[in-house]
Amino acid sequence: MRIFENTNYDFLDKRKFFYIFSTVVIIIGFIVLFTTRSIPLGIDFSGGTELQIRFEKDVNIADLREAMDNAGFSGMELKTMGTERDVLFRTPMQEEGQLVSDKIQQGIRAKIADNNFEVQRIDKVGPKIGAELRRNALFAVIFSLIAILIYLAFRFQFVFAVGAVVALFHDVLVTIAVIAIFDAIFPNLRLEFNQSMLAAFLTLVGFSSNDTVIVFDRIRENIKLFKNEDILHVMNRSINATLSRTIITSGTVFLTVLVLFIFGGEVNRSFAFTFAVGIITGTYSSIFVASAIVVDWKERGNALLLKEKSLRLKTAPKVKKINA
Amino acid sequence: MILGSLYFLYPTYKDSKLNSELKKLTGQDSLDFVDKYNQDLISARDKRLKLGLDLKGGMYVVLDVDVVKLLEDMAKKKDDQLLAILGEVKEVSKNSDELILETFKTKLAEKGQNLKSYYGELRDNEADIESRLKKEIDNSLDRAVEIVRNRIDQYGVAEPQIQKIGNSRIIVELPGVSNPVEVRKLLEGTALLEFKLVYDPQKAAKVMEAINKILVGDSTALKDTITTQVKTSSVDSSLKKTESVTSKDTSKKSAASEKNVTELKNTTGVDTKKDSLKDKKTADNKTVKKDSLKDKKDSSKKTDSAITSTDTSTNSDSTNQQLSEEEFKKKYPFFSLVNLNNESGTADGYVKDSDKEKVIRILNREDVKAVIPSDLSFAWSNKSFDAQGEKVHVLYTVKKDPELTGKVITDARSNIDPSNNTPIVSMEMDGEGSADWARITGANINKRIAIVLDNVVYSAPVVRSKITGGNSQIEGMANVQEAKLLEIVLKAGALPAPVKIIEERSIGPSLGEDSIQAGVSSSLAALLLVALFMIVYYKFGGSVADLALIINMLFILGVMASLKATITLPGIAGLILSIGMSVDTNVLIFERIREELGSGKPLRTAVDLGYKKAFSAIIDSHLTSLITGVILYQFGSGPIQGFALTLIFGLLANLFTAIVITHIIFDIMIQKGKHVNFG
Repeated sequence: MRIFENTNYDFLDKRKFFYIFSTVVIIIGFIVLFTTRSIPLGIDFSGGTELQIRFEKDVNIADLREAMDNAGFSGMELKTMGTERDVLFRTPMQEEGQLVSDKIQQGIRAKIADNNFEVQRIDKVGPKIGAELRRNALFAVIFSLIAILIYLAFRFQFVFAVGAVVALFHDVLVTIAVIAIFDAIFPNLRLEFNQSMLAAFLTLVGFSSNDTVIVFDRIRENIKLFKNEDILHVMNRSINATLSRTIITSGTVFLTVLVLFIFGGEVNRSFAFTFAVGIITGTYSSIFVASAIVVDWKERGNALLLKEKSLRLKTAPKVKKINA
Repeated sequence: MILGSLYFLYPTYKDSKLNSELKKLTGQDSLDFVDKYNQDLISARDKRLKLGLDLKGGMYVVLDVDVVKLLEDMAKKKDDQLLAILGEVKEVSKNSDELILETFKTKLAEKGQNLKSYYGELRDNEADIESRLKKEIDNSLDRAVEIVRNRIDQYGVAEPQIQKIGNSRIIVELPGVSNPVEVRKLLEGTALLEFKLVYDPQKAAKVMEAINKILVGDSTALKDTITTQVKTSSVDSSLKKTESVTSKDTSKKSAASEKNVTELKNTTGVDTKKDSLKDKKTADNKTVKKDSLKDKKDSSKKTDSAITSTDTSTNSDSTNQQLSEEEFKKKYPFFSLVNLNNESGTADGYVKDSDKEKVIRILNREDVKAVIPSDLSFAWSNKSFDAQGEKVHVLYTVKKDPELTGKVITDARSNIDPSNNTPIVSMEMDGEGSADWARITGANINKRIAIVLDNVVYSAPVVRSKITGGNSQIEGMANVQEAKLLEIVLKAGALPAPVKIIEERSIGPSLGEDSIQAGVSSSLAALLLVALFMIVYYKFGGSVADLALIINMLFILGVMASLKATITLPGIAGLILSIGMSVDTNVLIFERIREELGSGKPLRTAVDLGYKKAFSAIIDSHLTSLITGVILYQFGSGPIQGFALTLIFGLLANLFTAIVITHIIFDIMIQKGKHVNFG
């Protein structure tokens, strides 16, 4: 069985269109992000207290909200998780010493006496820790991008490294945009920026750079093999040659993550969704961003080179003429 | 490599098997089972793959040393102005990364004050005080860690993890604990250091004898707590084994009691006196050593006769009788658990780690409590020593009411005694404390005083003379570390190390089970799906790739088990990415081989060329991912580190299996003329 054998698509011809397409997605996504304030920060990063509680019987959110208002937690965020028995309580409060989680439980007991519950998870994160996590995450991402840039510049040409890193930025931005749009349309997915979503972003950076490197590897090889062909042809040829591996790998990994998204439970959902989007953008960007940038750079370089050559050609005879 | 992985994973399998067998049994059977397989259970539990708190349930707490509180405690005078300034500092520190000491200094300056007005003497200069405060703040972390460790050990959590992070943080992980209120109390409460007299050995032995009598008389309760019946031959042999452990115990005991014959002497004491005491001490040790060399039967008989000598009314006939081990167990159930060494002249009990639980249960029984005098309390030692692979704890009997609390200590310092190069700890007390101390030591010369932190005995030195002036010196520590620990403990009495919880996560066991089920079963399903696809698409090649995948998984898990790392949800995510990379590598190679086959090359050449040409892509992609992994591990916090770790191992395993193992398999298969295809 074979798929995409000996294909010959002209991927890079329409690259301008894909530049625009990516930019539009990113812009729309970020407009949505800032207008609807989707993708809320999880308490991992914002600080606060979060309780996940399983009730014995189905519970009415309105009742709980009233209970929380009575207990002094007005504006407590309440969400059911999958069933009407599982409820998530979240508040930015986490005052030290004062036991927010205990007060929440007392509040529930005061209002709903006939429905026993079990606290399944308590997270309390201080604001300092949240800030620290944010900073560490940012450092981690920036440093890994720099390290990738250096490594690729060393193994390939500098243009390739730039292309790969721009593609990585692109992937992160597009993924944020897509998640923002999805979160605005389907709030039931309950996507939020927490540690596992961060892990997903890191994973997608890894995956995307892997994919880009493999396409580049073939380009590197083919540039040596087909010295006389112009760069656009060589790159198209390379992308086509690696197409079946790209599709199979991305497809299988996508499948894995899809299974995790559907059956992996609430905890894994943010991770799985983010990574699933990342696989698509990562694969797309290897071709339409990373490679496209290399082509544009090289062609511009060639054009400049030609211009220079022609300039030299134009001037040279003149000099000759004067001499003559 | 595979064998290595399997070796490390075997305990995981064994642990789950033993535990599932244990679940099937109930009541007496389960107790017997635990007795029978105790050693196995413990060693398997120690070596198995550990699940993170997110999968198993438990508590994860980050503690921060409360520097503001510490500054308040350290101040020589605490007026309203200081409290007001500290209150402001606290507010500022909530949203600032500046060192609290710095904030404090600026706030003081704003009020026209300096550190000297609160922390210094007349002659001190500002910079000295500052560096002293800084050092105290840094040291407080060590104290806090010790206090936390001590308490958690007492709380009895299995496999707690206590980690020092940076210079003011402690991360505590308590698997299987889901009582946040209790744990909070445990971690945030102030430490209590006390000096307690060690109970009179003769009287203590009598109390133990009384406990023993209760255990002998109450045979039904006995069955619950101690196995007295020998059922099968295998149990018999395991009994013999444990008995030989105790014989080793006695030899170790001498070392321990040598340590415990620490000397508490007046620093201004007369030298000749000290020398004579030293002589006496060595003489003591000699007798202890001699005793320990005697064989086990002898020593158990010795214990026996010593007990009867303190309480002649019972079992007077048993002294003349050689008791077998089982009979001894039957007759002296308590002393078979708590070993006394009578030659040492103390009533310190030596308890094997596996017996500690039982002893605690016995001591908590109502009928046992009834015979314990109201002024006596049992206290465990902080340290344990190893005897034949098992830890042995010391059970002290001390006076319930402390003679003195640690608040009177003003300073403690560990040092090396230049005269004989042994570690010593010197301790200073304030005026009031010194007066009490002189009275206490004067009245208890040649008796022992236990240094007790949160009800755990850290040392029980013998008082050699009346100590006036408040300067005491403790010697006899085995090494510098032990002296350092004692210094930390004594300082904990002088200056408590206040900590506050800044992050707290508790995951109920049921949620952990839910997420493990969802996470693991979906990962397995995905793995199966991918494996199936590979076989369908690449036929024989695919099955080799699947084999490589399995080897990778074994390798990753094996390494995790050998490093005693824990598996967390992000770790599983890393595992999934590793699966992806493993599949990718094989796809890359197989596609190349197909290309070569397509251009008409023979199978052998095509395979070799495929591997050769794919190599650069594999190396580059793995290295970029490895770089990312290492950076994530370096900068990430807990969960991200777990992800990075599995990813790093996955990439390394994958490089090896993809480049070496599968290639070798294809080579062998082609050489043997087997039908090798790539779909």
